[in-house]
Amino acid sequence: MSVETAAPSKSKTAVGALIAIVLGLAVVAGVGLTLHTVSADPQPKLYATKVGTIVAADGKTYNHYTIADGVYPDPINSKAHGTTATSDGGHPSWPSYGPYTDFVLPANSYITVTLTVYDSGNQLNSPYFGNVVGTVDGTATYDGTSKTGLAPTEVEHTFTLHSLPTSTQDPLFVNVPLPLNTDAEMKAYNNDPTKLPVGHKVTFSFLTKGAGHYVWNCEYPCGDSTYQGFGAVMGQLGYMSGKVTVV
Amino acid sequence: MSDHDQEILPPTPGARVGKFIARKDVTQTLLLGLFFTAVFVVLGRWVYPHWMPQVLTKQMQSNEDIMIWFTVISAPIAGIVLAIAMESFLKMHRGDTPPEEGIAIRTNTPVVIIWTATSLLFCIVAIAWGIVALNTDSAAATRDATKSLIVDVTGSQWAWSFYYPEQKIHTHTLNIPVNRPVTFNVISDDVNHSFWPVQLGVKVDANRLVTTTIEADPSATGPIDVKCAELCGLYHAYMETSGAVQTPADFTSWVTSIQATGGVQQ
Repeated sequence: MSVETAAPSKSKTAVGALIAIVLGLAVVAGVGLTLHTVSADPQPKLYATKVGTIVAADGKTYNHYTIADGVYPDPINSKAHGTTATSDGGHPSWPSYGPYTDFVLPANSYITVTLTVYDSGNQLNSPYFGNVVGTVDGTATYDGTSKTGLAPTEVEHTFTLHSLPTSTQDPLFVNVPLPLNTDAEMKAYNNDPTKLPVGHKVTFSFLTKGAGHYVWNCEYPCGDSTYQGFGAVMGQLGYMSGKVTVV
Repeated sequence: MSDHDQEILPPTPGARVGKFIARKDVTQTLLLGLFFTAVFVVLGRWVYPHWMPQVLTKQMQSNEDIMIWFTVISAPIAGIVLAIAMESFLKMHRGDTPPEEGIAIRTNTPVVIIWTATSLLFCIVAIAWGIVALNTDSAAATRDATKSLIVDVTGSQWAWSFYYPEQKIHTHTLNIPVNRPVTFNVISDDVNHSFWPVQLGVKVDANRLVTTTIEADPSATGPIDVKCAELCGLYHAYMETSGAVQTPADFTSWVTSIQATGGVQQ
């Protein structure tokens, strides 16, 4: 024998449905806001500075912009994670670009980047990243000397910029190996971390195309011993990797 | 007494099936199932291929064929499942007492036999198809080894690089000529990656210290998207590059332009 139960009234059903929809929307909105907050990029951005116009090898005149940044053996000297004497992002032994790891560049422009490098180095996992690739003339200037690359054993870090080819934005690939500071050059720093070496200045230029979102990372294995040198610092944004936005 | 309280079962499985099919809701479900099956067949055979990557090699054609035909032969299952869901949704018993448990399907010998045989058939077809395709590709690779274009592929966190020994060029994009077999020797600098030139229809692991090899037979020109198909760290999602299957003249021109810049693609 079955037990018949009274069907709920239409008004109760409508109210119940409305409450369910509102609760559902609230949950979705809450999850969305939480994810948006968590994924927000905390890194400050370096905006390229216009310095004039320049005629490139293709004969066209471009607006000329510059940016300058550094590559440091520790995050405190880099100032990428704050300007106090203890601002290390929680990882005092990690190398870091700084004071910026996120860059904003104008579209269809001639960009000149100057990186001053203060860290030691060793050997690349892949010799390919010892080549200068994607700059306006296939070279970079190392302490005033133009070169097409560095020996894989003389590299400190790299600046390797790339993108998603399947997106609608223009492709952009730039790789510039950065020279190491020798043990002699690092001696004072190794005894006193406030005494950085003089450093090596690397300058290179490339052309941006249309607007888009790109990423860069270091291809030198400067992480811990896990993942062939790509553990620790190489697995977290804001030290040896970052973003480039072309607007 | 509710409709669901009592049901006198016919004595044999065959009679049970006959009575079951004769029920109005079951007939409606079967008709709905036929309709949805037809829809899925049309989608799988004529619409789905438009959503797949461009076919640039014989291997990609094999991939597309197997995807299409397995979609088509799976259509009846999807159709019946969707029909049951639709019938249940439309005939739901709001405010009613839930019905008793249905007939235990494990006692229905014809259904069990049909279900098992169908699943077995799917598996056998998939295995046989795969073995034939692999054997065909291996035989072709052996036959074409002497005339293959060799490309050494290196996966690094998080970029691909390529070296063409015959042309002596290093590149960060993958360009190959049409109508010439290509052999990829794939290795990793660090962790495990997976080399996946999507439109070529091949994919192989990139392991540290071990070279893996895979062949492709380009049969049409068009763009290539190269992806990493093995979760490999922070910028795995950005470990992509582009390339193209080109006409032999365009490929030669591309190679020459790189050789002119010292053998490193800019």
